[in-house]
Parts: sequence; C-alpha cells; structure tokens
Amino acid sequence: MPTIVEVKNLKKRYKDFEAVKGVSFDVEQGEIFGFLGPNGAGKSTTINMLSTIIKPSSGTATINGYDIVQKRNKVRSSIGLIFQASTLDEKLTANENLMLHCKFYGVAKKLREERIQEVLQIVDLTDKRYNIVETFSGGMKRRLEIARGLLHYPRVLFLDEPTVGLDPQTRAHIWDYILKLKEKAGITIFLTTHYMDEAEICDRVAVMDHGALIALDKPVQLKKNVGGDILEIATEDNVTAKSRIEETYQTEVLEKEGILTFQVERGDEFLVQFVKEFEIPITSVNLRRPTLNDVFLNLTGREIREETVSQKDRMKQGRGH
Amino acid sequence: MEGIFAIWQRDILKFFRDRSRLIGSFAMPFMFLILFGSGMSGAMSSMLGGSEAGALRDFDFVEFMFPGIIGMTVFNTAIFSALSVVQDKEFGYMREILVSPMSRVSIAIGKVLGGSTVAVFQGLLMLVFVPFIGVSISFVTIIQLIPTMFLVAFAISSFGLLIASTLKTTQGFQMVIQVLIFPMLFLSGALFPLNGLPFWMDILVKINPLTYSVDMFKKIVFDIDAMTPELIEAMGLNLSIFNHVISFTEEVLVVGAISLVFVILATYKFSTTEA
Repeated sequence: MPTIVEVKNLKKRYKDFEAVKGVSFDVEQGEIFGFLGPNGAGKSTTINMLSTIIKPSSGTATINGYDIVQKRNKVRSSIGLIFQASTLDEKLTANENLMLHCKFYGVAKKLREERIQEVLQIVDLTDKRYNIVETFSGGMKRRLEIARGLLHYPRVLFLDEPTVGLDPQTRAHIWDYILKLKEKAGITIFLTTHYMDEAEICDRVAVMDHGALIALDKPVQLKKNVGGDILEIATEDNVTAKSRIEETYQTEVLEKEGILTFQVERGDEFLVQFVKEFEIPITSVNLRRPTLNDVFLNLTGREIREETVSQKDRMKQGRGH
Repeated sequence: MEGIFAIWQRDILKFFRDRSRLIGSFAMPFMFLILFGSGMSGAMSSMLGGSEAGALRDFDFVEFMFPGIIGMTVFNTAIFSALSVVQDKEFGYMREILVSPMSRVSIAIGKVLGGSTVAVFQGLLMLVFVPFIGVSISFVTIIQLIPTMFLVAFAISSFGLLIASTLKTTQGFQMVIQVLIFPMLFLSGALFPLNGLPFWMDILVKINPLTYSVDMFKKIVFDIDAMTPELIEAMGLNLSIFNHVISFTEEVLVVGAISLVFVILATYKFSTTEA
C-alpha cells in the first residue's frame, strides 16, 4: 500500500509548553488510522497541523504528496475535515450547506448534483435534503457533516472525535457509515478518539500521551504486547494482599477504588491455583482479556479516563507521575 | 472567483430567509422618520422662524430627514452585516470556510460584497416611506441611488469587517458598534442640519465618512437647483471644506478612497485569522 500521509518530527510549541513533541509516522492509503490518548495529549493539535489549520513550530509532513506548510491549498483540496464541534450553517438547508461546500472547493458544476445525491445516500439523509439543518437531531447533523466532508472526494478524511456527545446507537450508526466509506471509496480515514471500542475498529492505532507518540501498531498487536490476561481482585485486606502478590508473583499490582489489578500469563490456569493458595480472603474476582485501555495503562501507568487535569496542571507536573 | 460568489450568495440567502430581521429593519427608520421627524418638524420650522412666509416656508423637516434615513439604514445594515463574521466564528461555520482551499482575500471580498448588497436592498426598502412623507422620487433618482448606496455600503461593510476581524464575541462586536454608530450618525447631518457648529465639532463632522455619504444621498434626492440660497443654507446642503463647496464627484472620490483603505485593511486583518 502506498503512503498517503508522511509525518516527520512534527512539533508544536506554545510559549513554554510543548503540545506536540516531535512525532513521526506514516499512514497508508486506504487504512483507518486511529489516534488514541487522553484529552490534551496532543491529538487535536497534531490533526490541526496536518490539516493546515495551525502551522507547526518545526518538522514536516506531507499529505497526498503535498507539503502541509508550502502547499496549504493543495493539502486543503486533498482532505476532508470533520471537527468535534459542528461547523454547519443551521439556518440553511442540507442542500444549501452541501452546495456551498461544492463551490468553496471548486467542484465542477456538472458534477455537483450527482455528488450531493451520492453523499446523502451514503449517510441516509436523501429525504432530508431540503430541510433546514436546525431541525436535525445531533446524529443527523453529524452525518450531514460527514457527507459534506466527502463532497470534494478527499483522499484523506480527518475525523476529530467523530462520535463524541452522541448516544450509543447513533455512534454505532456513524461507525457503519465510516466503514462503508472505507470499503466503497477506498478513502483513508484518520481519526482521533478516546473511546476504546472505537480505537479497536482501526487498522492501526497510534497511542499519544503528553505530546509524544508512545506506541503505534495494530490493536491486536498492541494488546498482545501487554502480555497475558488481566486479573482484577478485591480482598479483605488490600494493602497486605498487594505486597503479598508482588512478592510471590514478581508482578506489578495497581490499586484503584478497592480493586487490585495485575497481569498474568495463562489467566484461567493461574486463577484456579491462585484462589486455592492465597491466604487473604478474596471478596471478588474478575479475569479478562486486555483492552486498549490496559495498553495505555501498561505504557503510562494511568488510565485514559483519569485524565481530567488541565493543560496547565500537566505542564507543572511534567511527565513523571 | 466562485468562492467570492458563494460567500456572497450565502449572505443574500440568509437575508431573505430571516423575515424578522427584514421587518425589524423598518423599526428604526420608522421611529426616526415618522415619530421623531413628524414630532420635530413643527418645532423645527418655528425655530427657523419661517412658518408663514419668508424664504424658509418650504422647509419640511421630515423631507429633510429622508435621505439621512436612507443613509442611516445603509450604514446600519452594512456595519451589522459584519456581525455574521463574528457569529460564524462563534457557531463554527467560519472553520468550514477557513479550511477550504479558497484564499482569505476571496473570503473577505465575498463578505464585504454580501454585506454591501444586503445594505442596498435595505436602503431601497426605505423607499416605501416615500408616499407618506411627500417627497417625489423619480425613476432616475432610484437609478442614481443604487450605485451610491453600494459605494457607501462597500466602505462601511469593509469597516465592519475590519472591526469583526479583531473581535471574537458578538457581544464585543455589538458594544464597539453601538459606541461608534451614534456619534457617527449625529455628526453626519443625517438627522438635523449641521449649521453653526462649534469648531471642534465641525472638525469631527468633516472627518466623518458618513457626512459625505449622507450628503450624496441629499444631493440625489433634493432638487437643489430649484431651492433658494436661504433654504440650501438652512438645510445644510452646502457642505464645504476650507470654503470650497464639495461637489458630488468629489464626494464619490472621497468615499471611494475611504472604501479602498478600509477594504485593504479589512482584508489584511481578516487574512491573519486562524481557523
């Protein structure tokens, strides 16, 4: 597969804060490439640099062969962008929003009608074409935005948290559309998310934390690297249990909300043995396969969802915690 | 080129769709022209001391105000058209525009043209007051008004865009505009004749671009040749700088020059906008 996005040592500095600390990666044509990480990890900043919204402090990147600083307009024609917040004109109809987009992107006049019908069909909004966007539900607006982002046949579609704020059913639908796109148009999809289940669908996932890329692989491979299974237990005396487990099994135990979590090889066999041998009374047990959250936990010692500190706080804390 | 057209088209589309704005735009002119104007006209003519006979018996305050009201409407609409730029920033649509391959210059020009066109429409709508106030407007007058309104609107829309490009919130924009609008209106001769002003105020009047704009409308609407010198004097129709009476052509040049300066500044300022 040819490379469509090439990123080399891309950096973004704001005064004394480095939002993106030199990331490098390639995205292949036709793949779904996911950016996973907590809020403020630098995902959006990276996407904003790639989509020419902000200029990088240093480093280079090309999209569809065009440099993101030197050939901004060429890059803009090559990409579609779906932002976290809506960018539709809600006072206009779906058709008017789409028509304006065609004009902004110089889609040839004779192609417009055909394209509009096509993209509306992809997102199942054909019968809403002449309705005012204001009357749409959140999910419909999102779908319309995706449709609009496709009108100029971009080579790469950037989706920044495409399903944030939507109910689970609508989220599932949006994903159906995204997968349909990939199959149908062979379009490259570049998305950011902090939903684990969404990252699982990606062909490859780049894990970002504190402005740096800390892992990049297929979801299956990333999970394999965690090693073994995840055992979660609660005991009557967690403090003693924690040190006991660490001593006996030479493994790192994390405690959170009364639950001790640690990794073990061949979890099913281990569990039987463990319950039999362990002296401290166990109150609950859960054995599971690793998820991408465990991948993140393994790499950083934190869970993705814990991350609610503001950028400023993190600047003060630095990386070592 | 098509980008400019699309930006322009969106403004026009939204103008005609927003009925309440369309109707609301009559409120201010109506108040000034009919309530304020009719109320003041008696006082005005007695103050001028020419109610019965004399050279000023033809002075009609409502009639006097009419071109000023056209000017005010064009001015208000044009400057507030830039509000859409700030709103687009707030509601996110500006990102859709800014990440497209269109040049920033096209976007700015499209915005200014959109605002100008809408202002001309609004200005023309003021002609519905004509039958009620006794001025006679010929077809030729209307033909002369349209390009003049457009020139004025272009200057003011550019001015609005310049302000909008520096502000992030609609509240901020409205504040700044309110502070600017009233002094500019009062010092333009739109609402009362500017006679016997103190020196400092006279200077403000002469540097106010609106003064020349309003005067252009007056020159088009009134048949100045048929007026007595006293009436011309009383109505403040002899706008002059350093004892030189300014002609219509000179006013076109002045407003044209102001347009050029503002549109360049606005385009430059807008180009620095980050998405």
